[in-house]
Amino acid sequence: MAKHSLFYKIYNAGPILLLYYLCISEVDTNLEKVFEIFTLNFQIILIYFWVLKRPEIMANGHIFLAGLINDVVMGYPLGISSLSYLIIIFVGTYVRNKSVNTTIASDWFTFLMAMIFSNLLFFSLLNNFSDLEFSYSKIGYNMFFTLFMFPIFWLLFNIYQMSLIGSRDA
Amino acid sequence: MSVSRDDFSIAFRSALLQRGGAQKFSVLSLIFLALIIFFLDVYGAKFTKPVRGFLNDVVYRITFLASAPTRFFPQASKDLTSYFNVKTENERLKAEIEKYKSLELNVEFLSDENKNLQKILETEYFNKNLSNIVLAKVLVDKNSPFLKSIIINKGTRTGILKGMPVTHNNYLVGRIVETNYLSSRVLLLNDLNSRIPVTLDQGAQAILSGSGKNNPILEYLPEDYKIIDEINVFASGKDGIFSPGTPIGMTNLDGEVELFVDPNQLSFVTVNLSVQNAGKL
Repeated sequence: MAKHSLFYKIYNAGPILLLYYLCISEVDTNLEKVFEIFTLNFQIILIYFWVLKRPEIMANGHIFLAGLINDVVMGYPLGISSLSYLIIIFVGTYVRNKSVNTTIASDWFTFLMAMIFSNLLFFSLLNNFSDLEFSYSKIGYNMFFTLFMFPIFWLLFNIYQMSLIGSRDA
Repeated sequence: MSVSRDDFSIAFRSALLQRGGAQKFSVLSLIFLALIIFFLDVYGAKFTKPVRGFLNDVVYRITFLASAPTRFFPQASKDLTSYFNVKTENERLKAEIEKYKSLELNVEFLSDENKNLQKILETEYFNKNLSNIVLAKVLVDKNSPFLKSIIINKGTRTGILKGMPVTHNNYLVGRIVETNYLSSRVLLLNDLNSRIPVTLDQGAQAILSGSGKNNPILEYLPEDYKIIDEINVFASGKDGIFSPGTPIGMTNLDGEVELFVDPNQLSFVTVNLSVQNAGKL
């Protein structure tokens, strides 16, 4: 697809638009109504995949702003989601710098690392600097299902990348 | 060994400081910025409260607009179904009218009796002064695994203050935990941070605690108290905020309280401003 065509630009902006939409709209990936313990943090899957595969379409500034919006909508202290997303970017960029070829398995493992660091920071800040209480079992379920769903979204995003954006430039 | 350490430090520094192309900001600078914003918000510098309030009002309005498609399609399908079921609906409503006509006399008698009993208990009649009740629309109802709350379209401009009780059809729904000029956040009864003094049918006192799941639980019940099915739970009003006798829900066999109002299905709620007027906050 021609790089300057309108469709290419729209497809390129797709992931960042999806991130903004997930942060600002009522749409959530908290499917407790379907299955009581099923919650997942879709935003961090989205950020990690695109930072790892196509960092040029996931600008840091946009992710930071999306985090601030998420904090306002969810009622968390401002900046906490941004910090958590920035940790994901940091781990993603580090892995990209260190590795030549990645597979779904290696991405899955490094995603686990990124998620642990990000959630550790998020919940320690929330625990120490806000009055909000949270259930550790819910955090556990959330992390488990986010990790569990990662390969599925990895495949979907890969299909999106291959068919609509094209592979990464050399 | 030294080569691998160099590799590590180069990759580490690059991940933190890399800019260029689409990346106009380095991760490190944004982390610093996020930390500054976070601590300013947490420690509440003088100018952050109005800025946060303004931000909240703007973002909540945008969220409401952005969520319009997600509300439109379920509503449209509901409307279409009800259109096709209009005949059945009509027959059902006729039968209901007949039933309510027969209940009308009973209601009059019971409301008189209720008023008399409330006089004896020295509690205020909940709807005594309707000017103290504000009707608000639910702007945002985003389901979070960690925080159960809704955003309503009324704020300090209407006289809403932190801590005010929020009801739906006279059933308690939650309380105000954050106020902005044009909007407020309501903490729902099933949130993990919600604690409300309640009284049970038989007069036992307890604290209704949100569990983070759909149904809150009862804590600090009298010793040896056994919870049985279908006991009504009311706000006791001991905190001076919630009107005594406001119905909340009913116990079930698991010892949880099934709320009379489904917190996931709220479109409009009412806020009781009388607490503010009585100078209790």
